[in-house]
Amino acid sequence: MEPLSRFFYRRSEKALSDATLQASISRTTGKFVGARADSVAAFPGFEAARDEGSRIKRETLDRLDHHLGRFIDEAERRGAVIHAARDGAEAREIAARIAKEEGVTLAVKSKSMVGEEVDLTSALEAAGVEVVESDLGEFIVQLAGEPPSHIIAPAVHKTREQVSRLFVEKLGEPYTDKIPELVAIARRRLREKFLSAGMGVSGANFLCADTGSIALVTNEGNGRMGTILPRVHLVIAGIEKVIPRLSDLPVFLRLLPRSATGQPISTYVSVLTGVKRPEDPEGPEKLHIILLDNGRSGILKGKYRDILKCIRCGACLNICPVYQSVGGHAYGWTYPGPIGSVLTPLMTGLAEGIPLANASTLCGACADVCPVKIPIPGLLLELRADERDRGLKDPAEVFGMKGYAAVMSRAGILEALERIAGVISSVFLKEGKAPWLPFRFSGWTDRRDFPAPAPQPFRKLWKKQRGIRPWNR
Amino acid sequence: MEPVGRKEELLSRIAVALRGHEANNPASGAAAGSEAAQSVTDRIARFRNMFESQGGNFLAGPSLDPLLPELGEALRISGVTALFSPPGDERARLVAETLVPFGPFRLASPGEIRMVSAPASAGIQTAEFAIAETGTLVQSGQKGKTLLPGLISDVHVAILSPAAFVDRMEECLAALSEDLPRTISFITGPSRTGDIEQTLTIGAHGPKKVIVVLLP
Ligand code: SF4
Repeated sequence: MEPLSRFFYRRSEKALSDATLQASISRTTGKFVGARADSVAAFPGFEAARDEGSRIKRETLDRLDHHLGRFIDEAERRGAVIHAARDGAEAREIAARIAKEEGVTLAVKSKSMVGEEVDLTSALEAAGVEVVESDLGEFIVQLAGEPPSHIIAPAVHKTREQVSRLFVEKLGEPYTDKIPELVAIARRRLREKFLSAGMGVSGANFLCADTGSIALVTNEGNGRMGTILPRVHLVIAGIEKVIPRLSDLPVFLRLLPRSATGQPISTYVSVLTGVKRPEDPEGPEKLHIILLDNGRSGILKGKYRDILKCIRCGACLNICPVYQSVGGHAYGWTYPGPIGSVLTPLMTGLAEGIPLANASTLCGACADVCPVKIPIPGLLLELRADERDRGLKDPAEVFGMKGYAAVMSRAGILEALERIAGVISSVFLKEGKAPWLPFRFSGWTDRRDFPAPAPQPFRKLWKKQRGIRPWNR
Repeated sequence: MEPVGRKEELLSRIAVALRGHEANNPASGAAAGSEAAQSVTDRIARFRNMFESQGGNFLAGPSLDPLLPELGEALRISGVTALFSPPGDERARLVAETLVPFGPFRLASPGEIRMVSAPASAGIQTAEFAIAETGTLVQSGQKGKTLLPGLISDVHVAILSPAAFVDRMEECLAALSEDLPRTISFITGPSRTGDIEQTLTIGAHGPKKVIVVLLP
């Protein structure tokens, strides 16, 4: 999808003033945070699993060429056709060609962040395929013509009333504000599609190198229906999804659902290997796997390699005070929240994505919950440093920051300035806050007040209290 | 169609990216210690606890007969009218046939259930494994088995014997790896969604009820 991350400030202002959105975000993130904490507390092996999952992911990335090569060989041996896509445009082209050559007119798609990343649905639609999103949340946002707003819960921003009005308007169903009835409508509507679709489209949670298997995790069961019933299965996955062995899967299945929704395991886990065997009564005859790079090999090269360990659980979103305030759409691209704040600048360009990396207090909550121990705050700081090094930061601000650092590390200058500030502050002050700062710092006060200098600097008070005069230290 | 995109190029791009950025990780630690062997009864008890806490229904008895009224009632209140079992699964066929008088039921073929206009159905099948750690049923397509009973039915009835219970997922993956089937389906409770207002709702796409029948 087209990134809009450079408009983060404008988009978050809009989100902050949307009362309905605010209510649904806080309800969702609150539920997820509580459920995660409870389920982690109930599972004593969680920390050990985190260590192991983190280690396996890192070691796999360190030898990704080897492991991905193995995955390709094993999957091909079992009947898969593997396609390598350098970027989103190539992935779209490949998917459209597959649909055309397989003669597909109707496809059922289960939730795939990578699918969103490259806008797979629109590519298939352009190729004349009707694409039905089969995950309930995705089905809702598809009807509404909106992008998903949360990795795990795409329609968190919609109330039941809004969903029902959509069903009335787009599907001609009667109005109901009962959630089970809404779910039943979607079940009935989608069942028809599952039974008649020529192709199922899915992402992959994990790719197992030693067997060429695809592991897919869902709660609703759409992932299973779409990958067992249709004749063709199209998988799109980022190259970083590989794990070395099928036997590594259990540790990740102990981490992912607990971190995502607080479940000990997701309702359905499918391990799919190759195509239908001759004796099988069902399963796809054709399996196409698109392996997407789209900037990932570039990330692998440098200091941001750890971000590719991400298993897309969404825990960092739910716990993040910024995400909790502005929701997913404000981030302006596929991946919101802390994970998005690192991935977006790396994948769409620093100039586009840097507002996300800057919109963080670095509180560290994301790193505390991340099941594969990605040091997200550290990576955000690196991005800010890159921004400065590449001259993308306002030079006046860099200069100001340098000056600030110089002043703060030299007590004498600071004291002199504090005395001056105490006087000057009366000029800028409004209700104890400085509503604007002079010169090039205005970016800081466009959206918030800068606290005014206290008439008596803290350092002076402190020294007084302890009976030490500043000048006879 | 022939594969498109250059796989070799992708792999060499990755190899180039990795060079000059050495792995800085400590040697791999020992895998989590395997748990002590657990007795079958303990395994079953732990399975039941996890399975029920995630919305599953658990029935056990010395034989099938005493369980039939309760099983029939559970299917009836879910609106089930058709029962089906996969060809070749004798145990499941026996359960389906003896269950017919215990509700408004008739036997149906899997093909009929696959129709858009299918009646509300119960899919009855012998499950291959039951994992105690998470309360998970395992159904695979090994040796040409069908996955339809646990996939498209309204109620999924899984027949288990004590030998099917394992402690952890690792064990059943190892057992199935010998002759890896196209599909392995791990099933834990009924199909659910939280996508509308984060309210847990049962019966999204898969079965609305999952019943384990444990027989000696
Ligand atoms: S960065 Fe960590 S916490 Fe965030 S989505 Fe990825 S794995 Fe989950």
